[in-house]
Amino acid sequence: MRERNDLIKKIYILKECLNFPLTQRILDNAGKIPWEIIENKHELGEEIRTSEDPLKEGKKILLLARQKGKFVKSCPCTPNYIRCNYSIINLALNCPLDCSYCILQGYLKDPFLIIHVNLEDLWKELDVYLEKRKHIKVRIGTGELADSLALDLICECSKELITYFRKKKNAILEFKTKTLNISHLLSLEPSSNIVFSWSLNSEKVAAEEEKGAPSIRERLEVASRISEIGFPVGFHFDPLIHYPGWEEDYERVVRALFERIDPSRIAWISLGCLRFPPRLKEIIHRRFPSTKIIYEEFIPGLDNKMRYFRLLRLRIYRKIVQLIRNLGGRKIPLYFCMENESIWKEIFNWVPKGEEIEMFLSSPPSFS
Amino acid sequence: MIKREKELALDEIDLKDQRFRISLFFSIKNLLSSVKKVGLIYPPLLTIREGRIVLVSGWKRVEACRLLGISSIPGYFISDNDDLKVFHLAFFENLATRDFNVLEKAEILKKLISFGEKEKRIISEYLPLLGLPPTSTYLNLYLAFSEFEIEEKELIHQNEIPFSSLEILAKLKREERELIFPLLLPLGKNKQKELLECALDLAGKKGISIKSIFHQQEIREILESRNISALEKSQKIRLLLRREKYPLLSSWSESLKLILKKTRWPKDIILRPSPFFEEEKMSIFFDFKNEQEFVEKVSKLVELTSKKEFKGIWRPFFDEGKK
Repeated sequence: MRERNDLIKKIYILKECLNFPLTQRILDNAGKIPWEIIENKHELGEEIRTSEDPLKEGKKILLLARQKGKFVKSCPCTPNYIRCNYSIINLALNCPLDCSYCILQGYLKDPFLIIHVNLEDLWKELDVYLEKRKHIKVRIGTGELADSLALDLICECSKELITYFRKKKNAILEFKTKTLNISHLLSLEPSSNIVFSWSLNSEKVAAEEEKGAPSIRERLEVASRISEIGFPVGFHFDPLIHYPGWEEDYERVVRALFERIDPSRIAWISLGCLRFPPRLKEIIHRRFPSTKIIYEEFIPGLDNKMRYFRLLRLRIYRKIVQLIRNLGGRKIPLYFCMENESIWKEIFNWVPKGEEIEMFLSSPPSFS
Repeated sequence: MIKREKELALDEIDLKDQRFRISLFFSIKNLLSSVKKVGLIYPPLLTIREGRIVLVSGWKRVEACRLLGISSIPGYFISDNDDLKVFHLAFFENLATRDFNVLEKAEILKKLISFGEKEKRIISEYLPLLGLPPTSTYLNLYLAFSEFEIEEKELIHQNEIPFSSLEILAKLKREERELIFPLLLPLGKNKQKELLECALDLAGKKGISIKSIFHQQEIREILESRNISALEKSQKIRLLLRREKYPLLSSWSESLKLILKKTRWPKDIILRPSPFFEEEKMSIFFDFKNEQEFVEKVSKLVELTSKKEFKGIWRPFFDEGKK
């Protein structure tokens, strides 16, 4: 099992960001990674854009920039599907892992990795954001437009986030990752409102479609270590992928999950079938010519994203829910990411309205 | 680079040397009227290569003069041996006055490469000029378009095959395109794209070539059939591929049709499920001229609800695997 900090080949620092404490910390942690100061990000954009695979090249470059917009936003979710009411912290953008299905390939404007170093602004913004929502439970995470821990060995932002959120009891902070980068967190005092969660898939999907990511067995091992020191953990079966043999493969993962993790420590498990904007298909085909995941029975959904035909989604969800419920996770809160009302109703016999989803996800046994 | 005007005989131009030509196909109907009425206003650009006069820009003008039987025309001669520099003149002259179509853009990019322009420069400087994103992906895509055979380019031009279909065609081998082109031509743009996507996706899913898809027994029989028109062949093959690509959707659609038949659903009332059955909701459409007609149609619908098959209309929305 190996933590990885070797994916970045060069760090660029916007001149205006040189004096931020986080910049200095990143450079201290960077070891032998070369770095260079640049006036503006367009200087490095051209070199990457003209390369054969700009998305692949961009993943080796880290840019330290200033967040000029808002750090904290409500999850945009997807039109015409049930909203998750999640809040996102855009501390980092993009991910050094190279999953074939990753939506960021077609979503982000710049191909390189970015860490926003003006953390001082983040704390102020969070104070206001959480104060405004002090009467409701806020689920918030850093893993929407980035992997929460992929760059954490170099930036160590998670420690500061934990320190900040430990005191904010109306908020639940989630670190969503596929990586094993947890060694620097093991000495921390756990907190019931800090959740570490891992994306899970079948070992076959992980090996074939999640380039650079650790195996599922490895992910579960580190999840178990984090869970053992007292942090709640979460899991995301997302994207669930349909292929010959999927049922047996996913069953093995669910079994492995409950063999390693105490279900009472699991805050939630989310489910979501593979979906993507139509243009992503072309990108996936070009960058991953051997993948077959884009050739299933996809139809344009109500949000114009390509989704498995409804019946296929129902079959997949029914099977995974059945596996989770029967193999150890009888009481674990389950929810869908970007699904429609009728799927919720058909599988869970319940459609969350308003803030019900927060209530539901913030009251499992792991938070008591 | 020296430019001087000189009168020359039209047949002195070596039209076979098309190294600087951007437009492969064009219409000169309006230009013919113009030259006939007021003569050639703008002389074409020419240069000398290996002792021959080569046209740099003005292919339409020269063709119009030739068709009108004009034997000599004025021309601007460029004295420069660097093909890239000379091509710049043709490119920028055209760029300033009109938009390029997909095939012209592909031709320009191919020529820039052949004249030694650096790829990085083409991406960062020329692609934006052509209205394309400055990435190697777009350069490679357009270079693939430029590799189509001339006959294919002509078909694309004549039939205005949309960009989304060209993207798919660019992924195919020549013999695969040869097979698929005759099927595309009778279809409308959306159906062309659907046929291409279905063929490509099925080939991708099965890990076989497009050629193998079209060698399937059922498709071969349609292709070899002599009793049906080209349009019917294309339609049948498109539907066959669609059914194979969307097995569940097809079976749901067919099942709904069957239920409607069993309930003797009135033909003047249209029942429309949500697109791709993504939502449970359905819509009903019917016309009526007055209250009486309205009441009659509503009564027919109410009558339908008493039939035992009626509930089956919603069956496609529920998972048959539910226990």
